[in-house]
Amino acid sequence: MKKSIYPVAALVIILASAFTFVQSQNWKINDDYSVKFTSDDPSGVFRGMKGTINFDEKDLANSKFEVTVDVATINTGNGMKNTHAKSAKWLDAEKFPVIKFTSSSITSTASGYQAKGTLEFHGVSKEITIPFTFQNNVFSSSFEINRMDYNVNTEEPAHGAAVLKVDISVPVSKA
Amino acid sequence: MEKKVFLHGLIAGILSAIASIIYYRVHYFAFEVDFSKLVSVVGLIGINILSCMVAALGYWFIKKWFRSKADIVFNLLFSILSFASIIIPIAAKLPLDVQNPELFPGLTVPMHFFPALAWFTIAPFFRTNVKRVES
Repeated sequence: MKKSIYPVAALVIILASAFTFVQSQNWKINDDYSVKFTSDDPSGVFRGMKGTINFDEKDLANSKFEVTVDVATINTGNGMKNTHAKSAKWLDAEKFPVIKFTSSSITSTASGYQAKGTLEFHGVSKEITIPFTFQNNVFSSSFEINRMDYNVNTEEPAHGAAVLKVDISVPVSKA
Repeated sequence: MEKKVFLHGLIAGILSAIASIIYYRVHYFAFEVDFSKLVSVVGLIGINILSCMVAALGYWFIKKWFRSKADIVFNLLFSILSFASIIIPIAAKLPLDVQNPELFPGLTVPMHFFPALAWFTIAPFFRTNVKRVES
């Protein structure tokens, strides 16, 4: 009986070590992240970022992002604009409370990486590719999004910009 | 500029600044929103005294042009300008790291009326053509 304890203990330690190894690829989102969108009009930020970031530069095949931002946290710097942005006419924060990105594959590129996946925004799910870099434990990305693709106030295409530049910076620490 | 008009502007500015500082503190404790990045006590004192001194200068000019109807013209103009100026905080785009920008007009719009309110409140003390009624 005593003899069998050691192999079992060894197995437990090996399994636990393996689990720790897998966990080390998970990243915790730090509070000083920023999700900015800019255009001629409007510009602003989102807060309320949550999700899981599983990223290993040496194991991109098993890396995955599943991240949401809270639509109701939009801040354009103007109270009236914030209210309009959250209304049913624009982002409809009540009906579509989050913007969600779920990656399906992550590959390396000449300038960094790119994540292919699904962006769920305003009730529309669309496949997109998001380029990003990962340096000094900070994920940085810059890409464009067309609100018309996501049925955001399609009745007024000329009211505010249709294409918005999105700049994301997400400092992370090992979970 | 006459001494009386100068003092009217200065005292109205000081009273308006005091009212603004009190309202600023009340607003902070009521809503617990910090706009100290945008509004400071020194800034409030400065802008209120400046507003009332500009008003005093305007009153002095209007008195020269309109004489007996100066008060009517000036009061009307001061009220209209105070009211029109509320578009500034309502339309202002605050820095994106300032939380709750929707509460900013609630802080600043009433303050836009404080200089005029202070001016009108103390105006009776500075009237030049008050007829004393002796009983």
